[in-house]
Amino acid sequence: MKSNVIYLLLFCSSMMTAQNAIIRNATVLTVTKGILPKTDILITGGKIARIGGSITPLPGYQVIDATDKYVLPGIIDAHSHIGLDVVNEATNPVTAEVNVGDALDPMDIAIYRALAGGVTVSHAMHGSANAIGGQCETIKHRYGAVNPDQLRMEGAPRTIKFALGENPIRVHGEGNKIIPNTRMGVEQVFREAFRQAQIYQKDWDDFKKGVRKKAPEYSLRMETLSDILKGNIIIHCHSYRADEILMLMRVLQDFNIKKVCFQHVNEGFKVAPELARFGATASVFADWWAYKFEVYYSTAYNAAILTRNGVTTSINSDSEELIRHLYHEAAKTQRYGDLSDEEALALITINPAKQLGIDDKVGSIEVGKDADLVIFEGHPLSVYAIPQKTIVDGVVLFDIDKDRADMRLDVQPGDKYPTFIDSGREMYDHSCMEGVSELLMEESYARYLRYKLGAGHQH
Amino acid sequence: MKAKFILTAVWWKFLLGGVLLFAQENIPPVSSTYFLKNCTLIPRPGETLKGQHILIKNGQIVDIGPGVKAPFDAQWIQADSFYVYAGFIDGYSNTGIPKQENKERPKVSTPGNPPNAVAGITPEVRASDMFSTSDKSVAEMRNAGFTLSHVVPRGLMLPGQSAVFILGDSNADKMLLQSSAAQNFQFEPQRGVFPSTIIGVMSKFRDLYRNAYQEGNQDMLFQKGTIGVERPDYSRELKSLYPITVRKQSLFVVTPQSKDIHRAMLLQNELQFQLVLAEVKQGWHYLQEIKKSKYPVFLSLDLPEEDKKDAKKEDKKELVQGLQIERDSFQIRRELAIRQYVQQAATFEKEGVEFGFSYLNTKPADIKKSIGRMVKAGLSEKAALRALTTYPAAILGVSHLAGTVEKGKLANLVVTDKPFFDEKSSIKMVFVEGKKYTPEQPSAKSEKKTEEKTGISGIWSYVLEAAGSVRKGKIYISGQDGQYKVEVSDDTQKEKKESGREVSFKDKTLKFHVITDLESAGKVDFQLQFLENKYEGTVSLSAFGSFPVKGERQSDPE
Repeated sequence: MKSNVIYLLLFCSSMMTAQNAIIRNATVLTVTKGILPKTDILITGGKIARIGGSITPLPGYQVIDATDKYVLPGIIDAHSHIGLDVVNEATNPVTAEVNVGDALDPMDIAIYRALAGGVTVSHAMHGSANAIGGQCETIKHRYGAVNPDQLRMEGAPRTIKFALGENPIRVHGEGNKIIPNTRMGVEQVFREAFRQAQIYQKDWDDFKKGVRKKAPEYSLRMETLSDILKGNIIIHCHSYRADEILMLMRVLQDFNIKKVCFQHVNEGFKVAPELARFGATASVFADWWAYKFEVYYSTAYNAAILTRNGVTTSINSDSEELIRHLYHEAAKTQRYGDLSDEEALALITINPAKQLGIDDKVGSIEVGKDADLVIFEGHPLSVYAIPQKTIVDGVVLFDIDKDRADMRLDVQPGDKYPTFIDSGREMYDHSCMEGVSELLMEESYARYLRYKLGAGHQH
Repeated sequence: MKAKFILTAVWWKFLLGGVLLFAQENIPPVSSTYFLKNCTLIPRPGETLKGQHILIKNGQIVDIGPGVKAPFDAQWIQADSFYVYAGFIDGYSNTGIPKQENKERPKVSTPGNPPNAVAGITPEVRASDMFSTSDKSVAEMRNAGFTLSHVVPRGLMLPGQSAVFILGDSNADKMLLQSSAAQNFQFEPQRGVFPSTIIGVMSKFRDLYRNAYQEGNQDMLFQKGTIGVERPDYSRELKSLYPITVRKQSLFVVTPQSKDIHRAMLLQNELQFQLVLAEVKQGWHYLQEIKKSKYPVFLSLDLPEEDKKDAKKEDKKELVQGLQIERDSFQIRRELAIRQYVQQAATFEKEGVEFGFSYLNTKPADIKKSIGRMVKAGLSEKAALRALTTYPAAILGVSHLAGTVEKGKLANLVVTDKPFFDEKSSIKMVFVEGKKYTPEQPSAKSEKKTEEKTGISGIWSYVLEAAGSVRKGKIYISGQDGQYKVEVSDDTQKEKKESGREVSFKDKTLKFHVITDLESAGKVDFQLQFLENKYEGTVSLSAFGSFPVKGERQSDPE
């Protein structure tokens, strides 16, 4: 038993070091440059240095044999809430100033579980309680890190969560009797927020020019909204209904904002040409809807229809369970919509990378990109696919042969439960509205909602 | 009302016998000059001098040395077997701040923009206005050897300004040493209003900080009469925060877990205030950063409890084999985690990072035990003493007054019967600004033995809360093997003892009753549950219901 512990300590300390490796004799699914049979991938300093046949590495490189195995770019999840201590600051319809990057939890075991599903990057998002929620963080799944900064993906653009429809209405309108209490109200919240930001911006410009002597009150909220207006932040908007999707595009057009990715977007198939024309992207579930009224109508062909209409589309998890088999989710688009292998794989690799603005670094297997790779036993779109090793920045962070029962990084003195089974954590719950019910709603109201909506799916 | 009246009358008749004698407490000492003769002095960490005399006069240390002579008016304390240390300094605690009752969650019409006070943003609040020397925590800390406390108000995100108090017993103003020692911050949101989460707290703090700086600077320009610069929008919150933005005051941030430390450092890097890390429990992850940035650190004395060894055996039968292996390995990981927490101070010392201690969630009575555990885990006694004395003195800016035993400093001393870090040592006296206090000496071990030998026989105190008044007195128990005789007296009239009737003792519960001579009350039933050297229970008066009573063993049987 002692040796167990020593092994664990050794494992933790050595985990982040090796960044030079060679993957031998793999079937390489590059996603952007076709399929390369019997190919080697040379990784130097955490980046893909060479791709080709029979590469001879320098001494000291870790050799990973991938004969009869497939290598896929690390899967990217454009919508998740793992690695976070806080998801919703649900107290105001506009909370642009908050940033989930302040609440990263590198010790969240869900990061390791995502790696076991081949996911190397996820978009850790604020929840959907507010019309304009908080800023999100694109994280690399550097399991083993203790310092939250190590999760942040270098050079990833800033992103922010918006939300349409029932969630902000329920929390603020019904919960606190303030705007928005209707879908119209949600639109009004956006317009008012951007208008305020314009005034704020002008006040500061006047102050800097000397026209105004007194400095305006500093507001991190207005600063953030101004940055959206300047095009420095990508909007990721929780959405279901076609009419609302069109509404937000009109609002953005009026304020000359171009960067937007619609999340969930279950009725996206109805407005696919409009989305394509706007340049908006879409991140969807493969086949999941009807978990509440505004999303009673959708189709498993959504991803395929959007793709065929030229919308950059991804499939996301929004769940620490679904994140473990996004490759299955992508495969469903072949059953529903006949997407090609490359198109289906793009839904979980290069497309989400584009939506997060990180496609120059990850999302495909190309020389110069980060060595974020998954080695699969079986084709990733096969129902028999099993990830064997997941590599982040050239370091093997998940290895199915070294997958012990307890991979938690942080056992606290007060922890009581030895196993996940005992832990009582609602693993299969979806987390978009995490923290909201106990935070904001009176107990009776929360009970009413549970009755009305059914427990669990709170997208 | 009537019931209350009769009840009081009953007690009066039964226990007081009609005469109330006030305790003679506030008589000034005969002399404020003390002469500690021939002690072993530890003037500062790492130094021991034998055969020293210490002369204390009017609250100051007047002279130290083997040749010091006692003036005629000095009270002599024969200190041959005693060890004398500088009075301990508490680096961070809520000592002397009365606990507030749990308030209901505030209802506000605009949860997104609540009043600052509702949101826990009260940097204008001052510990110096709230401190009370009569709060029981003051005496408790003093009994644990503490003579100065860095007192922070209780509260949420920005609880207010802390102050340094001398832990004497005169009124708070007299005991105040530093009124605005520091500003304080914790990642503690108010639920239900903005900011209600850590991310809200972080962004709100940034907002407040930047506006405090901006407004403060604007005010300076305005004060200079700059043309076109109007009077700033005054706000007591922003005004109180301004000193930290110009580094005139440091900001203590409560950072128990490693993630809290990271968040505090994140804000410090952005905003450049003078950061002090307080109540650190899991700081070893950031040792290098703390070392590099030279943040002052106060380590928490709130250590996790050791696992009980027999816990491993719990319901072993019910587990399938696979789960048992997991549970065992979990057990090891948890023990490892506990060890890391206890070793924290030693780890810091090894790395050459100095620190003090903080006591936000520590019971004063547990302090010595916790330090003992740290020392056992590798912390040197010298570093531990430094954390108790010179380090907090330096960080709080009171090194010229306290922290060591030197001529001219405050006469704050701890006197022990063995070296303080000896497990069996106990504190015999504490001098606070020259005033002598004698902590009570509960010696749990010997009493436990007594209990085995004699059961519950002995003299016990009681504290009874009935109808809004508190009565104190003694219960005399004699006999053994469950056959006991009981007598009860009140402290204000000790000679008058009432005999207990129908005494029974079973399952550590003592039952008896006494009969009062007031007819309407009749029988007074006692039911007391004993646990080692303490008991708790109820006293029932047939007509008036039950009231809580508790007490402690005062002495063994005569």
